[in-house]
Amino acid sequence: MSIRIGIGLDVFSGPGIDADAVAFFARVTAAGGTLSATEITAINKLVKDMKAAGIWTSMKAVYPMVGASAAACAQNLISSSFTGTFFGGWTFASSGVTPNGTNAYMDTNLNVLLNISITSAHLSYYSRTNSASNWDMGVTQGTSTVMGLILKRSTGLSEVDMFSDISEAFSTETDSRGFYLGTRTSNINLKFFKNLTLKATSVVPDTGNLYNGNLYVGAVNGNIQYGNKECALASIGNGLTNTNATDLYTTVQAFQTTLSRQI
Amino acid sequence: MIGYKLTTTQKEDIQGKEYAPYQAFNCVQDINNIWFTFLTDEDKLILVNSNYKWLLDCPQAEYVPPIPPPFPPTI
Repeated sequence: MSIRIGIGLDVFSGPGIDADAVAFFARVTAAGGTLSATEITAINKLVKDMKAAGIWTSMKAVYPMVGASAAACAQNLISSSFTGTFFGGWTFASSGVTPNGTNAYMDTNLNVLLNISITSAHLSYYSRTNSASNWDMGVTQGTSTVMGLILKRSTGLSEVDMFSDISEAFSTETDSRGFYLGTRTSNINLKFFKNLTLKATSVVPDTGNLYNGNLYVGAVNGNIQYGNKECALASIGNGLTNTNATDLYTTVQAFQTTLSRQI
Repeated sequence: MIGYKLTTTQKEDIQGKEYAPYQAFNCVQDINNIWFTFLTDEDKLILVNSNYKWLLDCPQAEYVPPIPPPFPPTI
């Protein structure tokens, strides 16, 4: 059996091609998007590497931002759920998707209250831009109901919030390029990674709440504020251990390297 | 940043509407509460052959963002 991808390549299911990768290719094609042969190879390796590392099942949504179009980049690698919609001014390129910092966001259609556990959650964002802005990803209704990432603010700080501002983890930041991961594995354990480095930890007991609304990429839902960093992958899912975090970075970095867009 | 200035009626006509698969309008207010939207060159190529072609005739102006809400606090 084969599936015809938009550019005319035949991708055969079998030992070499993961079934979930094939399903993703089919979603992209059905949406009107196309992928290059290199992107197909990179996606297949990403899926297989994530499964081999045991982190695939921790993911609810992974947006690999391939295909240089809204139709392709809106697709969730994990399943047909949580397909995104891009609002406002975005630039789509083979290197990723860039919000204009003024009115752009992607609605993931992932409702936090319905899909996220308050004691086990993560967000990640692979940034290819060094710039200051406000929220790059998340939701918030204020200081006690927030889930989000800020990679570099004008104050020179970066932070992850889950789910109360009281228990945020933050650190200084000079260059917002790289792979950022915020992960909560209990109500007192919040960690903030950049690449392979643990940037910050919070052990303050969390007293926050889950937002009843969709998580955004490129901005924060709620009191909306916008980011401006090119995104080459974003993910949402369950909490990740230190080993999981290392494995996720390693697999994502290999994916970006295959696509020649690694930081 | 230069954007297209919209009346409130124009804003209500397009806000949240899809103009291409998986792409929708989002309008924002400037510091004087005037509505704006922003279009990339790719967006303009799409709109020129759509029912939203009129947007390209709207006046353009510099967008000055409103002062952001206080959260997150400055640490």
